[in-house]
Amino acid sequence: MHINQLALKNYRNYEQMQLTFDDKINVIIGENAQGKTNLMEAIYVLAFAKSHRTPRDKELVQWEKEYAKIEGNVSKRNRSFPLEIIISSKGKKAKLNHLEQRRLSDYIGAMNVVMFAPEDLNLVKGSPQVRRRFIDMEIGQIQPTYIYHLVQYQKIVKQRNHLLKGLQRKQQADRTMLQVLTEQLIEHAAFIIEKRFTFLELLRKWADPIHQGISRGIERLEINYQGTIEVSEDSNREKITSMYQQRFAEVENKEIDRGTTLVGPHRDDLLFLVNGKDVQTYGSQGQQRTTALSLKLAEIELIYNEVGEYPILLLDDVLSELDDYRQSHLLNTIQGKVQTFVSTTSVDGIKHETLEKAELFHIENGKLVT
Amino acid sequence: MYYPEPISKLIDSFTKLPGIGPKTAVRLAFFVLNMKEDDVLDFAKALVNAKRELTHCSICGHITDQDPCSICQDETRDNSVICVVQDPKDVIAMEKMKEFGGKYHVLHGAISPMDGIGPEDINVPSLLNRLKDEEVNELILATNPNIEGEATAMYISRLVKPSGIRITRIAHGLPMGGDLEYADEVTLSKAMEGRREL
Repeated sequence: MHINQLALKNYRNYEQMQLTFDDKINVIIGENAQGKTNLMEAIYVLAFAKSHRTPRDKELVQWEKEYAKIEGNVSKRNRSFPLEIIISSKGKKAKLNHLEQRRLSDYIGAMNVVMFAPEDLNLVKGSPQVRRRFIDMEIGQIQPTYIYHLVQYQKIVKQRNHLLKGLQRKQQADRTMLQVLTEQLIEHAAFIIEKRFTFLELLRKWADPIHQGISRGIERLEINYQGTIEVSEDSNREKITSMYQQRFAEVENKEIDRGTTLVGPHRDDLLFLVNGKDVQTYGSQGQQRTTALSLKLAEIELIYNEVGEYPILLLDDVLSELDDYRQSHLLNTIQGKVQTFVSTTSVDGIKHETLEKAELFHIENGKLVT
Repeated sequence: MYYPEPISKLIDSFTKLPGIGPKTAVRLAFFVLNMKEDDVLDFAKALVNAKRELTHCSICGHITDQDPCSICQDETRDNSVICVVQDPKDVIAMEKMKEFGGKYHVLHGAISPMDGIGPEDINVPSLLNRLKDEEVNELILATNPNIEGEATAMYISRLVKPSGIRITRIAHGLPMGGDLEYADEVTLSKAMEGRREL
């Protein structure tokens, strides 16, 4: 899969811009604050109909302009089709093949994008929330009903927490409603956990060999799921359900004391182990970086497995952060099969033969300079 | 204001209605100015009467101009089946179907701790009293298929189950006359879950 053309209008610092891309490697060069990340973001928005940097769509529209427009032409399985995103004060429109898609879930997935940005190091270093978001976003791309269950789950947690607060302050005494919400919660929780286990199984299959490759065979990567219930990952939904029922019964009084839901997928975490040691706590900066990179590369293979085509890879300001060996390993892995966008302040830090064949774009103040 | 007082008041009143913004309100207000006086009077009367003469049925909670409502008074209807709905509009929808011959109970909402709505804030207590006093064999729970509606249905079923009354929940699934391919994933997966033996 690759994007052939991109046209921007009133998007961030781009007033008007048209670009034609190489189907292999595209390097975007520019000083700081010239619009490199904005360009990467535009491709991301075209794929997901939202930005990875901000939840407020308004920020994407240029100052004092009515609307912003991103158009792209994407080739997938020997067919090419146009995609279009229009953001205005009235909301956003997503068009696939010139037809507006009423539901975003019908639009997202037409173009698959994997982004690796400096923030992605947080995947290893950051809070559990970052890792949950990673796993939820990935499964959501592959299975649309997962998002539905996740949204319902979050609503129930909210309802349940309100009720628990009421019980805590003794404004209510009736526990029947609590049991009802617990039952509802478990139904969705069991679905979510089951899908997460299946996904992790796939992720492990790809991530470990890739990690071994990047670390020249001296490091093994393990991924553990840290849940609020003790259940083996090959359990079926009935087993997971009964484990949750047991656990919720145990903590019921404690939950009322604390006034919040203490068990469930919204409190789970992923643990990354390199050679058996927790990378988050004991790993070196380099090991953390390698782990994040392995996960992103595994993501590419996973999407290839599900969709039958490689996604588009966006490397925002990260190539120069990797040492020579990791750089060449990364470029070797993607070489020739994944359309890649690399943004950097200069090509000096990047030495690789693939870069010589790359298409270069110099960006200055929201304009292309030749 | 650009408008004389009487019409600006009318515009303000129209904007209080759901789905009507400032522009539509202006259009409606000017339309009223051009209407015949009799029609306007009828309109105003209809508004006032609807509010004054309608009350909630003391048995089922449905909107009515006589208490108990015509459905509760109807002796040809089956007293042993009660269909629980969230809203008076749901009763109308059910009645249009012309296939349900039992009685109703209107909750006027669903339980939602987030919005501070507990079981006592909707017509759950009156339902429980009704079940004690009347000979009811089946309770059909027809609350909306969202989280609050489901939770309300589950809550009522837990309270009523011990009494031995048969409790049923309406089915979720595909709309009739539609094509399978147009159904969204969630509806389709619910329809698969609720499949039955032929």
